[in-house]
Amino acid sequence: MNTPVGIVLVSHSAELASGLRLLVEQIGSKDVPLATAGGTDDGRIGTSYDLVLNAIKEADRGGGVVVLPDLGSSVLTARTVLEDHPRPDVTLVDAPFVEGAVAAVVTAASGADLKTVADAAKEARNVHKL
Amino acid sequence: MSTSSDSTATTTASAETSLVLPANLHARPAGQLARAATGFTSTVQLEYAGRTVNPTGVLAVMGLGATAGSTMTVRAKGPDAEQAVAALADVLATAK
Repeated sequence: MNTPVGIVLVSHSAELASGLRLLVEQIGSKDVPLATAGGTDDGRIGTSYDLVLNAIKEADRGGGVVVLPDLGSSVLTARTVLEDHPRPDVTLVDAPFVEGAVAAVVTAASGADLKTVADAAKEARNVHKL
Repeated sequence: MSTSSDSTATTTASAETSLVLPANLHARPAGQLARAATGFTSTVQLEYAGRTVNPTGVLAVMGLGATAGSTMTVRAKGPDAEQAVAALADVLATAK
């Protein structure tokens, strides 16, 4: 099996990111490299350039990294980090945060490549709950 | 549980089984199903209450809202159809 694609969860809230991490570890696999960038450097609500950058490094095992932001400035911060450190194997994905993370982690756990994992997260937008 | 299979003139085999779910098909078993389903080359389908989904999509499986005591049908078509159906039925049968 290939090195699994890593997933980075970017949120305004450290608790939201770590809670989602616990959830996806239960559903997906602990074998998927997963890192969170939640809140500001000093633990407040917000986003942090450095936390996002470090989370990408932490989730990178060579198979590529999917970055999932929650809202607004999470997107802007993640986009700025990727513009400053452009890599073809690190992708910012537009997906619902919880559903996208679940789909991405389960897909990554099956050994799928970067595009397949990113597509699984995007596809989450079209899957109804009811 | 009943299993049927047949081989056509080509190498395509198909298999099908139905089982009564011992537990609600919630997030954790849905994740197990998705991972199991991706391991086969056969095309696999889950049918529940008239809806059919591809079990490799974990969110689609969760969206079925399948509850304990209800019947689910697993179908597969392809070279490893029987193994795929057996593996997915096993995940469903042992779901907690």
